[in-house]
Amino acid sequence: MAKSEGFLERHHFLLRRLHSLTGVVPIGMFLMVHLTTNASIVWGRINGHDGLEGADAAVATFQHEVNFIHSLPALILIEIFGLWLPIAFHSVLGVIYATSSKPNNDRYAYQDNWRYTLQRISGYVGVLFIFYHVATLRWGWSFLIPGGTEWSAEYAASTMAAALQGSTDGFRLGGLLVSAFYMVGVSLLVFHLANGLWTAAISWGLTVSESAQKRWGQVCFVIGVGLMLAAWSAVLGFATLDAASAREVETNMLEKAAAADGDGAAPEHAASHDEDSDHTGG
Amino acid sequence: MTVATTNGTAKRTAAANSRKVRFRIKRCDGPNKLVRWETFELTIAKGENVISCLQKIAANPVTTEGKRSTPVVWDCSCLEEVCGSCTMVINGQARQSCSALIDVIAPDDGDTVTLEPMSKFPVIRDLWVDRSRMFDALKRVKAWVPIDGTYDLGAGPRERPEEQAVRYALSECMTCGCCLEACPQFELAEDESEWDKSFIGAQALSQARLFNLHETGAQLKGDRLETLMGPDGVSECGNAQNCVKVCPKHIPLTESIAAVGRSTTIHAISKWFSGK
Ligand code: SF4
Ligand code: SF4
Ligand code: FES
Repeated sequence: MAKSEGFLERHHFLLRRLHSLTGVVPIGMFLMVHLTTNASIVWGRINGHDGLEGADAAVATFQHEVNFIHSLPALILIEIFGLWLPIAFHSVLGVIYATSSKPNNDRYAYQDNWRYTLQRISGYVGVLFIFYHVATLRWGWSFLIPGGTEWSAEYAASTMAAALQGSTDGFRLGGLLVSAFYMVGVSLLVFHLANGLWTAAISWGLTVSESAQKRWGQVCFVIGVGLMLAAWSAVLGFATLDAASAREVETNMLEKAAAADGDGAAPEHAASHDEDSDHTGG
Repeated sequence: MTVATTNGTAKRTAAANSRKVRFRIKRCDGPNKLVRWETFELTIAKGENVISCLQKIAANPVTTEGKRSTPVVWDCSCLEEVCGSCTMVINGQARQSCSALIDVIAPDDGDTVTLEPMSKFPVIRDLWVDRSRMFDALKRVKAWVPIDGTYDLGAGPRERPEEQAVRYALSECMTCGCCLEACPQFELAEDESEWDKSFIGAQALSQARLFNLHETGAQLKGDRLETLMGPDGVSECGNAQNCVKVCPKHIPLTESIAAVGRSTTIHAISKWFSGK
């Protein structure tokens, strides 16, 4: 204990700055991409996909995005070193740092002071939310999901919808709770990122003057509003998605892909046949 | 002796020139002694401040319950908001008692003024606290211009008026402690050995910036930044920005914090590359 305290103190400045940095890259950048991808369950409706329309197009678009991510090489290494370790580092240090805080909003009820306190609350809730989110959907701890849905990368949208709704055929009470937790969790995390971007610029000394801080604050506000819309679209989009018809779209896509794979394999087959016949012929 | 004042504005006009105000005061006889609350009632004349009221209480320390108490102890010196020694928590927020006018903070008959000592400094007695930690912090960040006085340094460096204007604002700090009292990251440390263990606070950060901006003072810039990169340094600030809102001298503390943040970033990077 005393030793770990010594370590934190000896490397205080570096650790603090790494804590700030990891919040922006990779975690912040990832969150932006992640929310945009997940919001495809809404913008995919407008976009259309492969001749599909409406919710079907959204399901297909989302599936397409998930397929792309799962086609990345060494995905598990990217996840471990690019996400899980940075998030664990940011969370553990963040909780340690937050414990030294003495909120005094009752006496100094300034907006900035509420921002300060909310940054800490959103950190705590965010850690819980991310843990639940990753454990249930990525590590397959489906016993934590009402209805016991297991998320699957092949049936991305339908299983996501079922996880949020608590069943594969519409809302259950447990599903309402999960969806509410998602709304609160993502909203707080978006706030945490937007506010963190603002304060990081002060901590690193990028924005020194009051007017610079204000200008960057406006930019962060716009980023926050944009991400908030994406986050809400994603949660509400999945929470209101019809899991059964989404699964049909996904099954069709799988069949198509399998057929395409078959087609792709066919010439090879033919070639080997030819070879065979060549052999027999020769 | 106890006059139950009707709260409200009905009597306001009648009592305009001789209204009564209650003072709820958090009292403590000394370090580690029990805290108690006492209420006194005074007839207020126009233009009084908290200190003149404390003087009246000292002259006749009888509580609203009719109990004879002791004079309330507080600290003060300049009586014009330049020394900072009379700082206390008035109606929930830290400020100077000499410039806290009763006409402003308790304008109506029957109003109550609550007085407490600052909570982030050890209480010596009643409203009087020990602010030594702030002066110690000034030593830790070497808040001075290094001249040893044994030989003639010649003319000082030339000053640009723009920089002088920035420094002048910072130089107005009176070490009052409001910024520390209001800061959610600054905590009470009773014992001297604990002073460098938790956040040093906006006051010392801003003074470090002041002396880093001075041509000759900048000779100690590296030392100051090293101190402020420590566990109690600038990165302990959580950007709540209460400090800048409560500073009675309107010192741009959040700019100072960001400026020190910038200096430490540059210092750390150049140290990493040059080894110094
Ligand atoms: S900005 Fe920093 S120093 Fe000022 S009140 Fe907030 S945490 Fe304290
Ligand atoms: S910076 Fe302002 S609030 Fe803080 S000690 Fe100096 S004068 Fe007081
Ligand atoms: S007595 Fe000096 S500031 Fe109030």
